[in-house]
Amino acid sequence: MFAIPPPPRYPTNNGLITATLETANTLTHREGPEYTFQAGEGTYILRDDLQLATPPPHPSEAPVINPNPLATSVVPPTSGVKLSLVSLNPKQINHDLYKAPTATSSLKENKEPEKEPRISIETTSDISNPAISINGSNKSSTVRAFGEGNAALSPVISRGDGLKRRKPKNNIIKSNSSFVSRVIPHEGLVKKLVERDPGGTFAFANINRAFQWLDLSSSSKQDPMTKILFTKAHMLCHDVNPLTKHPTHMDVVMGSSASDIIWYEPMSQKYARINKNGIINSSAVAKIRWIPGSENHFLAAHMDGTLVVYDKEKEDAPFVSEELVDEGISIEDEEQSTLVITKSVNSSNQKANPVACWKISNQAITDFAFSPDSKHLAVVGDDGCLRIIDYLQERLTDIYSSYYGAFTCVCWSPDGKYVLTGGQDDLVSIWSLHERQIIARCHGHDSWVAAVAFDPWRCDDRNYRFGSVGEDCKLLLWDFSVGMLHRPKGATARTRGSISQQSGSLLRQRTESASVINRIRSDSNRTGSIQQDIVDESEFINHPVEPRARTAQLPPVMSKKIDDHPLSGLAFEQDCIITSCVEGHVRTWDRPREGPNSSQVDLSEKKRP
Amino acid sequence: MTSFFGKLKSQNATGPAVGTTPAKKDPNAPLPTPLERMLMNAGPIRNDGSDKFFGMENFGNTCYCNSILQCLYYSVPFRDHVLSYPKRSTPESVAHAQAHAPPRIPPLQQNGTAKKPLGPSSARSAGTPPQQQKPEDKDSPEYKKKQALLAGPILNMSYENSREYEMPETLFTSLKDLFEAVVVNQSRMGVISPSRFLETLRRENEMFRSAMHQDAHEFLNLLLNTVVENIEDHDRKVIAQRKAEQPLRGVEDDGDLSKTESESGTVSFPPILPTPTTSSPTRWLHELFEGTLTSETRCLTCENVSQRDEPFLDLSVDLEQHSSVTACLRRFSEEEMLCERNKFHCDNCGGLQEAEKRMKIKRLPKILALHLKRFKYTEDLQRLQKLFHKVVYPYHLRLFNTTDDAEDPDRLYELYAVVVHIGGGPYHGHYVAVIKTQDRGWLLFDDEMVEPVDKTFVRNFFGDRPGLACAYVLFYQETTFEAVQKEQRMEGKRRASQDLTSGLAVPPRQSAELHQVQTVTPMGSPGSPSDATYYATLDHAVTAPPEFTTNGHVESPRSPPPPTVRPPSPVLQSKRERVKEEKAHEKARRAAEKQAEKDRQEVEKQRRKVLAAKLTEAQKRQEAELKAALEASKASKAEEDKRHALERSQTVHANGSGSGSSGFDRFKRTKSLRFGSLNKKEKPQLDSSEENVASPDAMTPEKEKDKDKDKEKEKDRRNRFSIRKKSFGMLP
Repeated sequence: MFAIPPPPRYPTNNGLITATLETANTLTHREGPEYTFQAGEGTYILRDDLQLATPPPHPSEAPVINPNPLATSVVPPTSGVKLSLVSLNPKQINHDLYKAPTATSSLKENKEPEKEPRISIETTSDISNPAISINGSNKSSTVRAFGEGNAALSPVISRGDGLKRRKPKNNIIKSNSSFVSRVIPHEGLVKKLVERDPGGTFAFANINRAFQWLDLSSSSKQDPMTKILFTKAHMLCHDVNPLTKHPTHMDVVMGSSASDIIWYEPMSQKYARINKNGIINSSAVAKIRWIPGSENHFLAAHMDGTLVVYDKEKEDAPFVSEELVDEGISIEDEEQSTLVITKSVNSSNQKANPVACWKISNQAITDFAFSPDSKHLAVVGDDGCLRIIDYLQERLTDIYSSYYGAFTCVCWSPDGKYVLTGGQDDLVSIWSLHERQIIARCHGHDSWVAAVAFDPWRCDDRNYRFGSVGEDCKLLLWDFSVGMLHRPKGATARTRGSISQQSGSLLRQRTESASVINRIRSDSNRTGSIQQDIVDESEFINHPVEPRARTAQLPPVMSKKIDDHPLSGLAFEQDCIITSCVEGHVRTWDRPREGPNSSQVDLSEKKRP
Repeated sequence: MTSFFGKLKSQNATGPAVGTTPAKKDPNAPLPTPLERMLMNAGPIRNDGSDKFFGMENFGNTCYCNSILQCLYYSVPFRDHVLSYPKRSTPESVAHAQAHAPPRIPPLQQNGTAKKPLGPSSARSAGTPPQQQKPEDKDSPEYKKKQALLAGPILNMSYENSREYEMPETLFTSLKDLFEAVVVNQSRMGVISPSRFLETLRRENEMFRSAMHQDAHEFLNLLLNTVVENIEDHDRKVIAQRKAEQPLRGVEDDGDLSKTESESGTVSFPPILPTPTTSSPTRWLHELFEGTLTSETRCLTCENVSQRDEPFLDLSVDLEQHSSVTACLRRFSEEEMLCERNKFHCDNCGGLQEAEKRMKIKRLPKILALHLKRFKYTEDLQRLQKLFHKVVYPYHLRLFNTTDDAEDPDRLYELYAVVVHIGGGPYHGHYVAVIKTQDRGWLLFDDEMVEPVDKTFVRNFFGDRPGLACAYVLFYQETTFEAVQKEQRMEGKRRASQDLTSGLAVPPRQSAELHQVQTVTPMGSPGSPSDATYYATLDHAVTAPPEFTTNGHVESPRSPPPPTVRPPSPVLQSKRERVKEEKAHEKARRAAEKQAEKDRQEVEKQRRKVLAAKLTEAQKRQEAELKAALEASKASKAEEDKRHALERSQTVHANGSGSGSSGFDRFKRTKSLRFGSLNKKEKPQLDSSEENVASPDAMTPEKEKDKDKDKEKEKDRRNRFSIRKKSFGMLP
């Protein structure tokens, strides 16, 4: 009998890791039909492919590649390349297509009457449209700023102008922290900063244990302005504060797999470490965002299901939940879906971080997004729930559930009427906050969705364009218009328009079937606020999953495999679409030349090398 | 080989266990294994086998068998059915059979080929270094397996007990023997040595006789088919017996198998059973694993659509790089053209025509076994090759490819088990199973070794990680949205309680409570053996509470009264044990309370020190523990009080052995819902054969297609075909 020699039960080596690790980014230009894609408005062409170098492992952290695939040690989370784009002096956005650039959303119309008009003590800039409020000039707002009612949070020093922004304390280049391994600034950094196009876009990108500051408008954009190598931690998310950006100052925050948060000012190369060694929350940071209109406060989503508001200026202090263990409510009764305020923004104790802390789930949070009107927060997580939170009042308003599996990403439409989610059900779902229900499920991905984004340059008050990228290496573009939204599944696109009788009754049915659950309040030592009684009455709606047969389906207008690796990031710019993948390819796709907007053409032509 | 395991060293050293913190006491004592740590203070043993965690001995490349058996064991309805069909045996009979079992050949002597039927030296013997030249790596799987065998107890399954079940020895009875032995055993962990099962398997199937690497999916397919056969045989025999015994009853209808079956309930069902019209107990396996595929074929000439139903026990899906299971299933149902060599014979217009065909799921199974076709035939190499595509699978699933008239098309499934193939090709490698147990989270079953793992561990086998380990068979089971939400809530709590177990003494009851099964069971058994189990449990709980703690097994009322009267001694002894246990509980509770009190003060102190210098890592952990301890002690107090009150009134409630009567109601409801469809399915055995005869033409292109497919996998054909053959008997 022919006998094959017994092979090892556990493979000794793996043939899969063969990629050599480059240390320098490379920029390549590719041409050919596979590097273009076609949409209704024309052909998108790959401008260039920037390959970010995956750094070799830190020498002291020997490559921990366990040959045993069954090793049960937990691998810290990592993330594919994500981009934070910022333009210091952007040209005014002329929405040729987007005709209603108003923050007066349906949401506002819907909910505003219930609320008392608030007397705002301090006018804070409303950055519902961040591009407009760069200079902090648009200070007309009825929207209350976050934490405004709390005297303990009112700014101590009023800064005259943006020129004297407070910088972090430590120099990152001279740092001897064991957290930061090495910082490599560009040798001609100062010169580069002076000479560059002031309207050009900076990008901040994470790859493995590296964090790179790139100038996308530069002709040699593959050379990072600065590259930071961390010893062990991977940066999973980052954000630039649009309020404080200035040619001499940028506030960047990033959240790491080690739970530490870095506040980084790239121009002066200063940094500060927040939540050091996880003193406040020891789980990794999945998503981080500056709170709209706030200079100092940012929100971090930790992977234990907690949202924490930090102040970049404040010191860390060990965090003890301020939530009183209420005898009346044992854990058994606790609804999974509640928002438990372990520290309220109204807490009088605001000497140290955190500013506020909300436990919303037992499962990891994967993404969140602020509404354009800066009042609501859409949070998604591994528990397959989309939560709409009125973060100013720290109140949960709605919970929607995925068809199945976790949600991975979320974003708001530019007018704040719709929320998009992508998830492990391979679907992009459109949710209407006005109707408080799902609008459509978008079928088209062959694997999990990794990122969704609206294209504000191709949205107007009735038609919306958005894109999505996924693990299937595909970019999909979608169009939906208000008219076609309510068609039931049976009807095809031909019968667009009228809201049928059936869908009307469905709506009612949905609202009735939705269970209304009283929120369990936690009494914390908050300072007495005017909103207290409103909060008390608050309740949220837990929406059940809609069956497939009753939900509209939307097909993509464009679907194309645009990379060889699973994609992780997507951004729409005025002249291009930028995608990024888990292996470090950042691809820029020029918008079609024969677009209706001639200025776009000019712009893209100018940049074409 | 050895050097490889040497390399493993120090990798795991930092994190020995997932989700648990290392025990602090007794640095000299051997550290408890992660599993032991998890099961500390687990409370009394249940009698349904849901809290047993046994590894399985490998007899040389029998990991395919071990991993599949584990997956089946942890399917709650499957286990319940196997245990209760045709009836549960008494612990005495199991003990009796065990006493007469041939001795087991100890593992260390197994290196020779004597034990193995045919094979040359096996992977196992090659994998175990013969001499211990250096201090052994305590984190290597081989070491852990050896330790598991040393720790025992080893259930020597070299006996068979089929006479007890009034059945001939078959694969089913061997399987039942295994399950029974585990459930009856006093220990929570150990190793099963399934020698007799393998003997039976090899006796009946030539394919598995060699000691070579086998395909786990093929084994699953064969096992399910054989079990169906065994059960049907037995039922036929019982019916025949019934008829012979009661010729005058005359109620029986020959055609209606189900009715006859349940009327003969004395054997398989307790008299409590509500109505005799329940579905036939034979059908339980079908009810769990079987679904119906409809192939719709549209003739492109006459536009006539013909449909054909086909039952399936599992779905084999083709894979593509960077896709999801959802997409694979969707592709499975995509339209395909039947043309050229593969034309369709249209009954309407006659002759071979071009046609469009698509397969949709008409009836969804309760347990969806998904076989990812990782082994693909490549023309160039003339052999099967393993595909290392990245195929992601979510924890939950719904099917998109259902027919419009499918019942419950939005049925929600949850992933409960993954069979992982490790290795570069189809002809060698290793199988392990990663399984979500009812109330203990996810566990890794690697032959003899059982280890708790983090939930995220399940996601290591998409195929994109180094190490050649890929998911090969996925088991999804029916669940509900509410159950999922409840479970997510429990997960957070469990995490907290696991932290506790390492540090503070958790009152066992509390811990048991935390882990108590919360799953809503739409998984409901079609026949009601599990209902019976619940009844039995409750019955017994009132009359003789100690039995639970003594043998962890309850005779169901349906089993015939044991021939001999139970000696009273075990009861007495058990009472003593119970008292002892209670003292322990009390002690633990007090300790926890004391600790909690201390903790409370400390919390206060810490609050005052909010601005004080940074806490170290250890302190932080402690803090978390404190909070949990607070809650734990509170809950345990209430629990304790309740229990005392109950004890005084002599009504001890059945501890942690199921969800009681509410669960029963649920079962009943599901069952009654299903009658209609069941009976319809049940009846027309004749019709199906008719159809079989009537539509051979319609079949031909299918068959041709099959042939094409079968080239890919020759062995597969036999199995697939056998399902089909059998399935004709069940077609409506």
